[in-house]
Amino acid sequence: MQNVLSYIILIVISGCFLSSCSDSFLDVPVQGAATAESDPALAEKLVTGVYNTLVSGDAFGSGDTHGIAFISTTNIMSDDADKGSTPNDQIGIIGHLDNFTHGPTNIFVGSVWNGHYNAIARCNQALKALETASLDDVTKNRFIGEVRFIRAYFYFNLVRFFGGVPAVLRVPESAADANSDPAFRTRASSDDIYNIVIEDLTYTVNNTPLKNATQTGRVNKGMAQSLLAKVYMYRKDWQKVFDLTNEVITSGQYALLDDYANIWRYEGNNSSESVFEIQTGTFNNTDFGVRGYCVWQGPRVGGKGGWTDLGFGFCTPSREFVNSYETGDKRREATVIEIDDSGTYRGTILFDGYRIPSKDSIENFFYNYKAYHSELQTIEPFLGNRDNKQKNIHILRYADVLLMQAEAANELGNQGMALMHVNRLRNRAGLPDINVAGGQALREAIWKERRYELAMEHDRFFDIVRQGRAAEVMQAAGKNFIAGTHELLPIPALQIELSGGQLQQNPGY
Amino acid sequence: MADKFLIAVVFFTFSIVGFSQKTIKGQIKHADTQESVIGASIAVKGTDQGTITDFDGFFELQVRENDILVINYIGYQTLEITVGTEVDYQVLLRPESILLDQIVVVGYGIQRKVDVTGSTASVKGEDLLKQPVMTPTQALQGRVSGVQIISSGRPGSSPNVRVRGIGTALAGTTALFVVDGVLTDDISNINTADIVSVDILKDASSTAIYGARGANGVIIITTKKGQSGQTQINYNNFVGFRSAARIVEMANAAEYANYASAATGQTVSAGDVDTDWYREILRNAFVNNHNLSLSGGSDKFSHFLGFGYLDEDGIVLNNHFSRFNLRTNLDYTLSEKVNFGINGSFTSSNDKDVNLGAAYNNAYRAAPIIPGIIDGRYGNTSQYQNVGNAILDLSNNDNKTLRNRLQASAFADIKFWKGFKFKSMIGVDNTHVNDRRYNYRFLNDEVTFLTSGGNQRAERSSLNVFSDYNFRWVWDNIMTYQTSVDKNNFTFLAGTTAEAFQATFFSARREDVPADDNLWYINTGNANTSANSGGGDAWARNSYLGRVNYSYDDKYLFTGTVRRDGSSRISEKNRWGYFPSMGVGWVISNEEILKNVRFLESLKLRASWGRVGNDRIPSDAFTATVTPNLAYPFGGGVAIPGSAITQVKDPDLKWETTEELDLGVDYSLFKGKLYGEMGFYTKSTRDLLINIKLPATSGDEDGVILTNAASIRNTGFEAAVNWRDNILSEISYKLGANITINRNEVTGLNGGEPILDGGVGAAQIFTTRTDNGQPVGAFFVYQVLGVFQNGEEIAAYTSTDGRIIQPNASPGDFKYQDVNNDGVIDDNDRVFAGSYQPKAYFGFNAEVSYKAFDLSFDIYGNVGNVVYNGKKALRLSGLDNVEKSLAYDRWTPGSGIQDEPAANSGFLPASTYYVEPGDFIRLNNVTLSYNIPPDLVQKVRIDNARVFLTAQNVWTWQRFTGFSPELLDSSPTRAGIEINAYPTTRTVACGINLNF
Repeated sequence: MQNVLSYIILIVISGCFLSSCSDSFLDVPVQGAATAESDPALAEKLVTGVYNTLVSGDAFGSGDTHGIAFISTTNIMSDDADKGSTPNDQIGIIGHLDNFTHGPTNIFVGSVWNGHYNAIARCNQALKALETASLDDVTKNRFIGEVRFIRAYFYFNLVRFFGGVPAVLRVPESAADANSDPAFRTRASSDDIYNIVIEDLTYTVNNTPLKNATQTGRVNKGMAQSLLAKVYMYRKDWQKVFDLTNEVITSGQYALLDDYANIWRYEGNNSSESVFEIQTGTFNNTDFGVRGYCVWQGPRVGGKGGWTDLGFGFCTPSREFVNSYETGDKRREATVIEIDDSGTYRGTILFDGYRIPSKDSIENFFYNYKAYHSELQTIEPFLGNRDNKQKNIHILRYADVLLMQAEAANELGNQGMALMHVNRLRNRAGLPDINVAGGQALREAIWKERRYELAMEHDRFFDIVRQGRAAEVMQAAGKNFIAGTHELLPIPALQIELSGGQLQQNPGY
Repeated sequence: MADKFLIAVVFFTFSIVGFSQKTIKGQIKHADTQESVIGASIAVKGTDQGTITDFDGFFELQVRENDILVINYIGYQTLEITVGTEVDYQVLLRPESILLDQIVVVGYGIQRKVDVTGSTASVKGEDLLKQPVMTPTQALQGRVSGVQIISSGRPGSSPNVRVRGIGTALAGTTALFVVDGVLTDDISNINTADIVSVDILKDASSTAIYGARGANGVIIITTKKGQSGQTQINYNNFVGFRSAARIVEMANAAEYANYASAATGQTVSAGDVDTDWYREILRNAFVNNHNLSLSGGSDKFSHFLGFGYLDEDGIVLNNHFSRFNLRTNLDYTLSEKVNFGINGSFTSSNDKDVNLGAAYNNAYRAAPIIPGIIDGRYGNTSQYQNVGNAILDLSNNDNKTLRNRLQASAFADIKFWKGFKFKSMIGVDNTHVNDRRYNYRFLNDEVTFLTSGGNQRAERSSLNVFSDYNFRWVWDNIMTYQTSVDKNNFTFLAGTTAEAFQATFFSARREDVPADDNLWYINTGNANTSANSGGGDAWARNSYLGRVNYSYDDKYLFTGTVRRDGSSRISEKNRWGYFPSMGVGWVISNEEILKNVRFLESLKLRASWGRVGNDRIPSDAFTATVTPNLAYPFGGGVAIPGSAITQVKDPDLKWETTEELDLGVDYSLFKGKLYGEMGFYTKSTRDLLINIKLPATSGDEDGVILTNAASIRNTGFEAAVNWRDNILSEISYKLGANITINRNEVTGLNGGEPILDGGVGAAQIFTTRTDNGQPVGAFFVYQVLGVFQNGEEIAAYTSTDGRIIQPNASPGDFKYQDVNNDGVIDDNDRVFAGSYQPKAYFGFNAEVSYKAFDLSFDIYGNVGNVVYNGKKALRLSGLDNVEKSLAYDRWTPGSGIQDEPAANSGFLPASTYYVEPGDFIRLNNVTLSYNIPPDLVQKVRIDNARVFLTAQNVWTWQRFTGFSPELLDSSPTRAGIEINAYPTTRTVACGINLNF
């Protein structure tokens, strides 16, 4: 009987142990991951996380803001550049975009959309956290301004890529919320998107300091004014373009570099000409930059080979474009790596002394010099990670600001000022002044100047659409461009499907 | 009641010899046939004395009077005989009656098969051991109705086990395994040679005792225990070769040149080289397996010690796997009431895996006109066509995964009061994985390649190491009470279990690590390239369970169970759930009215209902977490880390719930010669966990959220029938057949979006759609109507409003159906094209014994499914190779061919072109064994020796043109797509089994 008793005691004890601990026993926090509640410095980190979206380039995965999908849908689609690489490489994705045979299932169209909305969501997360963050008002407003600038930039890209898109300005409470609120599922008008962009940028203009009063690479007042001017240029609100560019020009923060080519050298990073420049550096002991930007555009081995090439050879300047430079335009050799095809086998020597062999060992004739970053560590920093080279990307330059003002001035009847800006840039490029009559002739001269000044800087395709002559230009370049359709990308098929068919497709797709 | 089956033991008394030690002899025969039984063991209970019968069934043994002889023979009823004064014993053994005598293992206990009200099946260890396969689950293939096993030829891989259809999309379809009471999802550490039985619980009334983990079925593995008596030593092995069971024939150089010229419009010349890339990367692989065990014991103490070693080359170049196991199972009887024991196993495996994905795809695409490897230098495929050299893919890296796993349980069994029994068991499961991956430095120069160039190169060597340590404990406390009142038998069970898990892992990487394998440690790399990461996981479960078994007069049976489960992986709101079940059985054959029906040995009707769950949810699934280290370098230099919340989570996440109704009949006729079962089930799963794709506007960066949205129903019929008998008293045979018919259907998405999955390459973003009214993971593609024969056909193919549907097509291109008649081919024109889930699968097995020979074979197959030839869709260029048949069957002008397009550059959209029938029948295993006459081997102190010759995966009939329609995939929403499946292997092996 005593035995029985001791057993019962044993059981009772074990039973007690289990029941008494059971409540807390099951409260096991997630390991190795902070939650929004457990991180007091969250808001500021989220702001940095917003900047981080500028380097996203997962074109085959979660999304792309400045990687090969962005390069394809800007430069390669334009008349400045072709797909490049071997004839068949990526023909089903980039080839279609280059030839305007792309459809709504084109994976890069999807990754541009995803990359931008992922980035916008991070902006909204940061804005939400900033609302309650314990920061002083000036700092808080500055952070909000920075984040709203980046959100505006991405919406500006989206509206230019797709037209009106869903206007997502808040963090969804849940998946059901995102799947039911029409704001997430239907397209706002492009006017609505432009208004959001203008409102965000106006906030930034009013709440961020000048370039020299904030950390290098951070969003600042001049950056916001310049982008806002560009937005107004697309809206043809010339007075606002003129006023905003004027503020930038008179701010004393900006100047042209003497040597055009230096803009794309490491030493030209964050120069006086820089307005909005994606920052690169190192992280976790490796190169940190826009994923794939350089390697996709690097010169590619071909023919008889025999050398270690620099990349996949995409986004090659088109022969027609290269040949259309005015004689003596220094910008040609700063923009284009021309492969030696002279038969002398002298090769092409790049600025850092790197020699690219001649055409018989190379796949293509031309490559994008503005995407070249030296692999010689003594010349430019490089830790060996070709996928993330430390190559800053120039989204907005002072030269663009001058050209914007030139165009606005012409539209507003100030021909002299317009010519002055154009000629400044021409002179820097080693070209003589032009003198054309105001109005259409000057307008076209400015447009032409924009093409050569900003070549391969992701501006050209948007620009010709803005100018209303995309079909004319692209058809002249021999592309299968259908007016009324190909000015915009198709809305990704998957996103239409996920909206339950509520997202309307663009015409012609 | 069992009297009528009792063993007939006939004593022939000859004389009376002294009172102490004496020699007895005897003969053991089959009761039915009077054939002698070879190799039956005769042990003296409580001693280590014993022997086995010889070729004619005779034995001799030294015994004392009143000793108890225990006579054991596999598949026959165990018999105990008390030694009397006689010296000659004629013993008749009767086969076990499957239904009446079999003891089956059920959750937290054992039961007579006849008392079970649910649907269960049992397979003996020795049946599994016949096949030269690595995991016990693979050997179950085709043996049990309702259990579908899909295995891979990759050494060290675990098969997919699907019990009664797919009841989940994302929570994992693998059954729960219970190894000597320890619950686990992975039994790749268990040595088949150590297994005494595998019991499969299929219906919810059997699995509900495992509550939130029972929805996929439960497979209980019981390992061998020592028997009191003579110490037995067993050694068995097999040694053999594996090879690819089937290789897809690719175009040779001339065929390729012809096709590629047509596809690219350029002249491609064949040249002298003709590389068969698949044969370059595949080989005949050597496999050998050795098991040694020692078992025995006394009244108080019994032990089983096992040692196993497996060494296996993969059939893919450089792939290798080895594993050794140690097992110690000890039982100690303290008193009649108290019993202690420990079951422990330690497994260490070494897996040298290879980059099969790259090699396999590249072997499919690489041009045969490029050499594979000549004098140590590789053919430069990437220079020619931007496809890596597959041989180099397999040799430019060196991977090693060491995995040590200790799994053990200790228990105390206490019978402390009339009918009361208390069992406490603590189990631990501890795994340590150490993974090392080295990538060699090599350039695209003429040191590595025959010609320089191309983009297959690694400018810097790199070393990645990964370490994972995890530990799990489980503590069960179970009380049972058994009592009888008249003809009423009750068994009550109540208990608690608690379980906790923790894991930590880290990874490190450096570059510029020297190529000497003695230096493959992180410290030898360039510190400036250091990168590391790490993390952890933890969860806990707590459960309360109860069961009542009631039977009246062995005629009427009732089982009721309930389990209350709590899990830390579910938010507090839904943390606890109840999982009840009940089952009833009616043994009609025990009704008076049927007792005189002679042919009827046993007949039982059963019905059950139960609710079970599936809680395989990641620990962080319901908590929104912050992703750190999303950096940005302001002004250049070292970037500062930032954060983002990149995932939308469902805070109300809970387990999936399955309700299952099961009706069945178990029968045994003609004195147990014909037996089997038949059943019908319907399983309805709701609150299904699925990753629902989210619109990009939600900001969820991977574009999906895990939530409880859908419901699935599996309805099925399963039947098994077995027959065993003898012919002319010399030949005994056993035939078994089983079939399972299952219908799987998504019954409701409940507002969720359909799951689009199964992307193949860049051109086919998704190929499956899991949607209402369709099976999980049904293919969803364009319908190919044929091939445009000429320009007129293209122009004539218009929608009703006159739009040319495929204006960009050329003759020789596919014509796709414009389902919605809107004049364009887009995602709205996709159609459902079938599912990888078979409508029916079946097994057939047979065993014939003639004297000392045994021949057995197994057939397995399935019908009514389709699979997706995904590797075909990975062709991305006109220079990529094609399958030989396509090189010939392609469309050419005037050919009239409708099912194969003209030579093309790949990149075709997902269509029915890639969907192929998945039906197959396979001769799974053929084994011939021979028992060497005992009098030959006993001279060298071997009691019993068997040699065997076995072939696995001998012959397959399949309609699929790819490697194998059996495609392993962890996710049911994208299964059945052949992209980089490890080729199915054929094994021919021989072995020996010795008992000392």
